[in-house]
Amino acid sequence: MKARKLLSVSMAAAAALLTMSATAMAEEEPVTIKVFSNNPDRTADQGLVEQTIFDAYMEEHPNVTIEVEALDDEAYKTKFKAYAAGSEMPDLVSVWGQPGFIDEVIDAGVLAELNPEDFADYGFLEGSLDGFSGDGKLYGLARNTDVIVVYYNAKMFEDNGWEVPATYEEFLTLADTINEAGFIPVAMDGGDKWPLYIYLYDLMNKKDGTDLMQKTLDAIASGDYSDLAFIEAADMLREAAERGVFQIGFETTDYGTAQNLFTNGQAAMYYMGSWDMSMATNMDIPDEIRENIRCFNLPVNGENADPLALTAWNGGGYSVTENSANKEAALDLLKYMFLPENWTRIAWENGVCMSAQDFSQFATGNETEVQKQLMDMVAEATAISGTSIGDLGTSEYKTVCEDTVQQLAIGSITTEEFWAGLSALAGK
Amino acid sequence: MEKKRHFTPGKIVMWIILAVFAVIQIFPLIWLVNHSLANNNEMFTSGILVMPETIRWDNYVTAFVDGHFLLYLRNSLLVNILAVVLVLLFSVMMAFACTRMHWKLSGVVMGLILMGMMIPIHATLLPNYIIYDKLRLTDTLWALLIPYVAFSLPQGLFLTSGFMRSIPKEIEEAAVIDGCGIYRVIGVIIFPMLKTSLVTVAIMTFLNNWNEFMMAMTYLSSPTWKTLPFSVLEFTGIYASNYAVQFAVMALTAAPMVIVYLCLSKYITEGVAMGAVKG
Repeated sequence: MKARKLLSVSMAAAAALLTMSATAMAEEEPVTIKVFSNNPDRTADQGLVEQTIFDAYMEEHPNVTIEVEALDDEAYKTKFKAYAAGSEMPDLVSVWGQPGFIDEVIDAGVLAELNPEDFADYGFLEGSLDGFSGDGKLYGLARNTDVIVVYYNAKMFEDNGWEVPATYEEFLTLADTINEAGFIPVAMDGGDKWPLYIYLYDLMNKKDGTDLMQKTLDAIASGDYSDLAFIEAADMLREAAERGVFQIGFETTDYGTAQNLFTNGQAAMYYMGSWDMSMATNMDIPDEIRENIRCFNLPVNGENADPLALTAWNGGGYSVTENSANKEAALDLLKYMFLPENWTRIAWENGVCMSAQDFSQFATGNETEVQKQLMDMVAEATAISGTSIGDLGTSEYKTVCEDTVQQLAIGSITTEEFWAGLSALAGK
Repeated sequence: MEKKRHFTPGKIVMWIILAVFAVIQIFPLIWLVNHSLANNNEMFTSGILVMPETIRWDNYVTAFVDGHFLLYLRNSLLVNILAVVLVLLFSVMMAFACTRMHWKLSGVVMGLILMGMMIPIHATLLPNYIIYDKLRLTDTLWALLIPYVAFSLPQGLFLTSGFMRSIPKEIEEAAVIDGCGIYRVIGVIIFPMLKTSLVTVAIMTFLNNWNEFMMAMTYLSSPTWKTLPFSVLEFTGIYASNYAVQFAVMALTAAPMVIVYLCLSKYITEGVAMGAVKG
């Protein structure tokens, strides 16, 4: 009797268990997508945009949990190598569409191939995905369009009767005038070094804007930097630094300090990328400066010069990893992120940055002045430079380029020595 | 009359010099707290100290809430206390084995362990990661505890063994004659006599590991075991960072260390000096 009772109880329990598991199967299985990002600050700028999209995605897909691990650039790259060597690679990762980073990663088979047709109607700007491709295959999506510009303080210009320069000569003369008035002409982040090689590349681009990226790639491969535009650009960078266009000690000034020289009104201009348009919405910056931030494209004149050429590139982006345990889910998240009404709209409307997609469709007319200027610049551009010189070679090339361009700017090596140093790396 | 004799010119000069040194030593902390109460833009004004327009206590609120301060503090305390206990335990046992016991390879073993002081952390990051990955130890408490103990042990052994050599053997012999076993000799006789050197080892281990970030960043990925240095990272942007809040985080992070140091500082110099003489 007792045995029978026990049997019936256990059978009932088994039946109940079966029903429960069947119901669970009907619902979607829980998925955890691991994201490895280079945006540690989740409460501001691009990190906030990223997190906003992830939160929205989790709300729409209750079975999905997104775990974000974020480190800043250098730490990110170190950990990325560790992940690639181990077996726990996250599902969705930040990548840089530059040969110095992505070539090695693609060769190692870390990234999953994407189907370009999936993104055909996403409105990616022409050429923006080139850096994320290898052997004609697509491995990642670009996050931003970065344009290098000169920000200036319109009120300071007006009060002192200074005009936005139309030629490089005028730019240098303006710098002299600003120096005489006791201000810093251009705040330059020389401590991080890359803004210096971007300045150099900007000059190269405008001196002779035709197919600059290919010319630079060829020069890196052959070690032949005898192109006149290259040599002139290096001379011009050196001259600018010698003439006091940048603040004293620019080679040791870091990003935050350079930006703050401008936002505190100590510098009249500031040389930086379009992502810093977020200064115009940063409430920590005093009103009279924040409302007067404008920008212009560094003017360069000369025989082959192109005043409408833009020095712009698509640096950061995202990829799905090949060995991801949740490849399909990660791919779905990637597609969701880059729906134009997500990344592009949110980044643009909050004045954070310009995406690599067509952002003009989200223009509301309520943009800051600097946003409108940038939008016009991109619309009018006749030539886009693409990835700049330091990011076109290997990681070793990048290090040498960074160090020597800084030495060139402070005058401790000559133009010839600078190019010879890069030449020596050919074929490596 | 007698009181006056205390203020000789020499003493006054000494006091002035000491005061200057004290100010120099304490200044970074004042600077840290001062900047943590300004806004991000005010930090870059010229001048050493900032006069904030409004005192930004909210930096500390942000540091606490968005920086996951309490969770990371708990993790840091746990990892560090465990590391200190293990380092002390192993240091004393190893020092006893290498200085008091007679066996063939004692000198070689000690030399090998002390060589650990020369290994740079960076060189071990990737190999260790691969080992942890195979053992499924990444992102666990062990991933931090093992290297923290391993990297602190050579220094711990160096200080304790130096100090242990200065303890007369006769004390232990007397204890053994009175019927003490080996564990009792270590626990009841040696341990209390090593107090100064152990405090030094404890403080050094604690200070070194409290700020450690490279290993933590490589071996951990989820917030479960992340330590305090990650709190600073939460306010680092791609290009510009929220420096004011980072200063608040650093002030909060430094506080427990300053307290530990103040409580135990008188033992430090004593311990290092005594260990070094015979080391």
